[in-house]
Amino acid sequence: MSELVSNDYLECLLKSLSIQSEGISSLGAPANNQSAWLKQLRKQAIDRAGQLRLPTIKDEAWRFTDISPLAKLPFKPAQALHTLKLSDIQSFFIEETNNRLVFIDGFFAPEFSGITDKEQLIIGNLPSLIESHASLVASHLAQHAQYHDNIFTALNTAFVHDGAVIIVPKNAVAAAPVHLLFIATQKETTNYPRCLIVGEANSQVTLIEDYVSLQNDAYVTNSVTECYLAPNAQVQHIRIQRENTDAYHLANCAVSLDHASRYQAVNVSFGAQISRHNLDVGFKAETGECAIDGLTIITDGQLADTHSCIDHIKPNCTSRQQHKCIADDAAHAVFNGNIIVRPGAQRTDSSQSSRNLLLSGTAQIDTKPQLEIFADDVKCAHGATVGQLDNEEIFYLKSRGLSELAARNLLTYAFGAEILNRIPLASLKHSLEQIVLNQTQSSR
Amino acid sequence: MSAVLQNLVNQPYKHGFVTDIESEVAPKGLSEETIHLISAKKNEPEWLLDFRLRAYQKWLTMSEPDWQNVHYPKIDFQSISYYAAPKPKEKLSSMDEVDPELIRTFEKLGVPMHERAALAGVAVDVVFDSVSVATTYKEKLAEVGIIFCSISEAVQKHPELIKQYLGTVVPVGDNFFAALNSAVFTDGSFCYIPKGVKCPMDLSTYFRINTEGSGQFERTLVIAEEGASVSYLEGCTAPQFDTNQLHAAVVELIALDNADIKYSTVQNWYAGDENGIGGIYNFVTKRGLAKGVNSRISWTQVETGSAITWKYPSCILRGDNSVGEFYSVAVTNHLQQADTGTKMIHLGKNTRSTIVSKGISAGRSNSSYRGLVRINPTADNARNFSQCDSMLVGDQSGAHTFPYIQVRNNSAKVEHEASTSKIGEDQLFYFAQRGIDAEEAVSMIVNGFCKEVFQQLPMEFAVEATKLLSFKLEGSVG
Repeated sequence: MSELVSNDYLECLLKSLSIQSEGISSLGAPANNQSAWLKQLRKQAIDRAGQLRLPTIKDEAWRFTDISPLAKLPFKPAQALHTLKLSDIQSFFIEETNNRLVFIDGFFAPEFSGITDKEQLIIGNLPSLIESHASLVASHLAQHAQYHDNIFTALNTAFVHDGAVIIVPKNAVAAAPVHLLFIATQKETTNYPRCLIVGEANSQVTLIEDYVSLQNDAYVTNSVTECYLAPNAQVQHIRIQRENTDAYHLANCAVSLDHASRYQAVNVSFGAQISRHNLDVGFKAETGECAIDGLTIITDGQLADTHSCIDHIKPNCTSRQQHKCIADDAAHAVFNGNIIVRPGAQRTDSSQSSRNLLLSGTAQIDTKPQLEIFADDVKCAHGATVGQLDNEEIFYLKSRGLSELAARNLLTYAFGAEILNRIPLASLKHSLEQIVLNQTQSSR
Repeated sequence: MSAVLQNLVNQPYKHGFVTDIESEVAPKGLSEETIHLISAKKNEPEWLLDFRLRAYQKWLTMSEPDWQNVHYPKIDFQSISYYAAPKPKEKLSSMDEVDPELIRTFEKLGVPMHERAALAGVAVDVVFDSVSVATTYKEKLAEVGIIFCSISEAVQKHPELIKQYLGTVVPVGDNFFAALNSAVFTDGSFCYIPKGVKCPMDLSTYFRINTEGSGQFERTLVIAEEGASVSYLEGCTAPQFDTNQLHAAVVELIALDNADIKYSTVQNWYAGDENGIGGIYNFVTKRGLAKGVNSRISWTQVETGSAITWKYPSCILRGDNSVGEFYSVAVTNHLQQADTGTKMIHLGKNTRSTIVSKGISAGRSNSSYRGLVRINPTADNARNFSQCDSMLVGDQSGAHTFPYIQVRNNSAKVEHEASTSKIGEDQLFYFAQRGIDAEEAVSMIVNGFCKEVFQQLPMEFAVEATKLLSFKLEGSVG
């Protein structure tokens, strides 16, 4: 893994990095604002990124996801300039909440952001929180998402200059969800969204991480989200990726769960030409719980890849995962779900299911639910199915007077709706349902 | 886990002994000369030497795979002797002429060949360090036109069949160990069932690795012509040695229209002692080609031995309506490692496959199921069902599942399920209540767990397998 394969994408990025690392970050915060530890962190990540290479289909973890088209594009880091007006982006807002952080091409846009729950939440962009809560940020930033063997996390860490930081103080319960809106406006650039979520003891929060684009050309989103849950903390994390269908979306999400904490996630993925979502959940103490649901709906030549790893390091933890893919036309959906039960992690209860629906003869599914178990007193089960719509179900609906098309659309919609129903925000759920309906209907 | 169970597994290997037969051993190391030597010793035709050399050239360009979930010290391929044959004797016409040493060995193994052959009606093609020494029941099979002999004999007597089929299912460059085997294979079994013939008895071979430090490279080729059917058994035991031995066999099955091949294996090679010293490396490539319409290939395996078992008996379902089956029980104990599973490649229409895999890990062992189900765009209405269950005995063992599912056709239906469980204290308590001690309880629970697979085995193998499992797990549960 140490050799550096030359390619335009990496070279272009690394070149811009070396310029940056001298007078660090002319982009985000001024140089003197960056504390020593952050400079150190970025330097290490830059060094590491220089040693890693872009994965190819010869790497087991990337066997089905060929990102060579990305490697050919000399995408520069995005710049902090935009001309958006409120009316341009208002349609993305969620009506249930006014806790909102907007990032445009990875840069904080305070003019569109606002926080109503200031008492319950410590929230802001990275530079401002580094000023006010330096030690807390330092003790978590880049501590959960490892960049040593992941080129994209390394690049994101190397470029880290801005991002969303949400700290839920001890015993605080956020009244309204927090909406993190990441908007991409510049073509042929790479943006580096970064999120850090710290749920302190006994706290509760719901957040929505939302990726959208306002143009139709190719660009790269390379996002990293880190989430730490202190004892008894609860986080509900909804992640929506609805970028344009020329975009490349590379996301890494790392979650560390402390004693008796609960993490619930819903990951919905519609967009991007090629998307890859890595989700790593680690149980760092006993009696943690996590529930992860995923829905991927893709069509045309889209490729969506989800790799999750749920690591039961400590005993008595519970995890549940359900991932669904709907692939139409020549789309290619990939799912790799790994569950590890470490030695000594007794009384682990873990279940995983991967269900896949192929709507066309040219669509492809590659699924690999994987169990690695090193403890004996455990309950682990996984299942995977791949199939098409059931003829008997279609027949049943037709016998009730629905047309063939309506019956198919209804069944396809119902297949996906099971996941969407887990989203607790009515307006968001509704708008996502509309997307699903449009997609299922336009496809025929 | 209680002490009762701990005591149960720690029985020494019961089949450990060395037979003293003078072996004719080739000098260690692999080179073109070695291959020329093997080929010359076996008096092989030119095309087979070419086949070997082609494989050797290919092998030189390949590197040893490292993706598998097993760990072992690097193998020095130059320190292996690639040819070991029992000293040639004049042709044997009856069992009396077989070396009494050999007969004694088989008796110790509990395989009184002549009796067994006669009583059980099983033809045993005895493979002893790669060279076939005695073959029984040949005439009876010859009556219906079945050819069942060692592969080197087949090369001499039926070169056209070997030339036509050898290397067609597992090409010379298929993988590192298959290439090695293709270059240096010394012997193995060959079986040809002509058109429309149902083989009147179960065919069986016994494999045994004897000469210390000699690798064994078996080559098996089974061909079932149109409408033919055969059940082939393979059973293995090996004596106790301290140096690791490499076994890289290749098995190729070819089923034409409406043919049916059932291939069953019971493998109980020396697994090394409780500290993982010694034991066989079992790196085998097994693959069946369901070439014709309505053909069927069924693999059943009970893997209890070997320090490392690493094999994926596969089915290529090319013919329309062809069927592939894989039933497996893999038991590991002490420091054994197993990475096994299957590949079902669906190419033809209406092809069906079933996978039932049971893994039992005890002691500090690790067992993995690694399987591939691939539905190609041409495989309309393909159907697969996979079930992989693991049972963990003791808290230091590991069980892993790596199922790859690749679907390229939307009329396919693929299902996979897996579960992991252990023998619970409450289950043992329930048995104890009924007056059944822990040892017997474990044996019953494990046999119940494996029942689906054992049902697929021919009768005598099923009995042997049940016993083997009880031996194997003696002392591991408690």
